[in-house]
Amino acid sequence: MQELKQLEEIDRDIRRLKEIAGRLKAAQPEFPALVRNADRILASTKMLELNVCDLLDLAAE
Amino acid sequence: MMADSPYWNPYLETLPRERLRALQLAKFKRIFQWAWEHSRFHRSLYDAAGIAPADIRTFEDIRRVPKVEKSMMRDIQGKDPFPYGDALCVPLEEVSAFRQTSGTTGRPVYQPDTWQDWEWWAECWAFILWAQGYRPGDRVFIPFGYNIFVAFWAGHYAAEKLGCEVVPGGVLDTQARILKIQELRATAMMATPTYVLGMADTAKNKMGIDPAALTIDKITCAGEPGASIPSTKRRMEQAWNAKVYDHAGATEIGAWSFECQAQPGGMHVNEAFFLVEIEDLQTGEIIEEPGRRGKMVITALDRHAQPCVRFDAKDVIEWDERICECGRTFRLVKGGVVGRADDITKVKGVLLAPAAIEEVVRGIEGLGDEYEVVVDRPGDIDRITLKVELMPGAENRVAEIEAQLKDQLRLKTNLGYKLEFHDYGRLPRYEVKARRFKDLRKQH
Ligand SMILES: [Zn+2]
Repeated sequence: MQELKQLEEIDRDIRRLKEIAGRLKAAQPEFPALVRNADRILASTKMLELNVCDLLDLAAE
Repeated sequence: MMADSPYWNPYLETLPRERLRALQLAKFKRIFQWAWEHSRFHRSLYDAAGIAPADIRTFEDIRRVPKVEKSMMRDIQGKDPFPYGDALCVPLEEVSAFRQTSGTTGRPVYQPDTWQDWEWWAECWAFILWAQGYRPGDRVFIPFGYNIFVAFWAGHYAAEKLGCEVVPGGVLDTQARILKIQELRATAMMATPTYVLGMADTAKNKMGIDPAALTIDKITCAGEPGASIPSTKRRMEQAWNAKVYDHAGATEIGAWSFECQAQPGGMHVNEAFFLVEIEDLQTGEIIEEPGRRGKMVITALDRHAQPCVRFDAKDVIEWDERICECGRTFRLVKGGVVGRADDITKVKGVLLAPAAIEEVVRGIEGLGDEYEVVVDRPGDIDRITLKVELMPGAENRVAEIEAQLKDQLRLKTNLGYKLEFHDYGRLPRYEVKARRFKDLRKQH
């Protein structure tokens, strides 16, 4: 049970991370170092989603 | 602490079967929807079959989704968006890497990947390497000519990702690679089985270095099924005094399977990231039960730039009924990939899998690692010629070896062979994928 609670917290943080990285990517389109690095963070965030968020969302009990 | 975990993802890899199946079904729907929305190629294929995302509710429904053949991928390429054509699901400027298939069976297929797809490739490989005991602190040597083929690129990035130190052995020649392994005390490497044996041969016979005395303790094989062929695996493990693990993947699919440290005589399918179906070679019916061979139809559940949805992979596999002692709930394919649907041809009316011949040849002491199989039809009857090499010192045992070889071949393949014995070193050597099976009948 505790593990599940912890995973749910991790899941929320991953979603927050995705939101923030998305905001950064869009913040200043004329700022390549910002756009491209935020884009890479988004790709890594997707891997966290595959490892955690999908588990909670899609692998129904 | 992290290094103690036997699993890269302790949740996904031990998920109860019914939850794993639920995950696969949900992910299939998601990738199907993606391909249907973003790829003109997939949309027209599905429209023609009268199937749309709303129609996919069960695994039965998935079986109605048309398969994609390699030849279809060839046909759409070279067109706009150049050079990938209509299956491209993202704007061309989002593609960050080009790869192509090796073209062993025809014109190569191009494969675009975005940075996210590339992260995904490395993620799939991270499952493999972690399961095979790679940990932070390993020094991984990659003796491979990195190029337009995907092989080992993803292994390289995955090793970095999970905290290993990677030594790229790119354009060095074999001797320089062996010296580098020795100099740096590398602990792991990745190569094709052909090359793993070839390196050991060079070290021993050309350089006077015993590869077993080097510090490599694990080897990940890919590209050919050798690491799942018991006698080939044994030869590699003895030569290097290392554990040898199999892995199978493909450019247009991804890294879909791996052998774990329990070495169960087969490979786990990464079922959290791939959906593998096995189809009967004759009837096309889906095989659920263990013990029946068929060809693989596979879906990469999270690949986006050029999706892989029900791809007709032509790999011949069968489910294993056993549950692996490693604790993973990912199903095992027994004995790895046992052949290619194209290679498993009928000779004299009998199904012949080249892997069975390899198992025999490399199980006989006194024979070298290399061999070649030629099938032709001089008159009305098929003839199989098997060329093997005698190891130095085995010349006076030819009769005994020949009898042993004949017996074993008859037993394992049910066929008779014309045998040719060659001096050691006379058959061709291969650096990447070997072409040891030649069917000349098609030319007649
Ligand atoms: Zn296992």
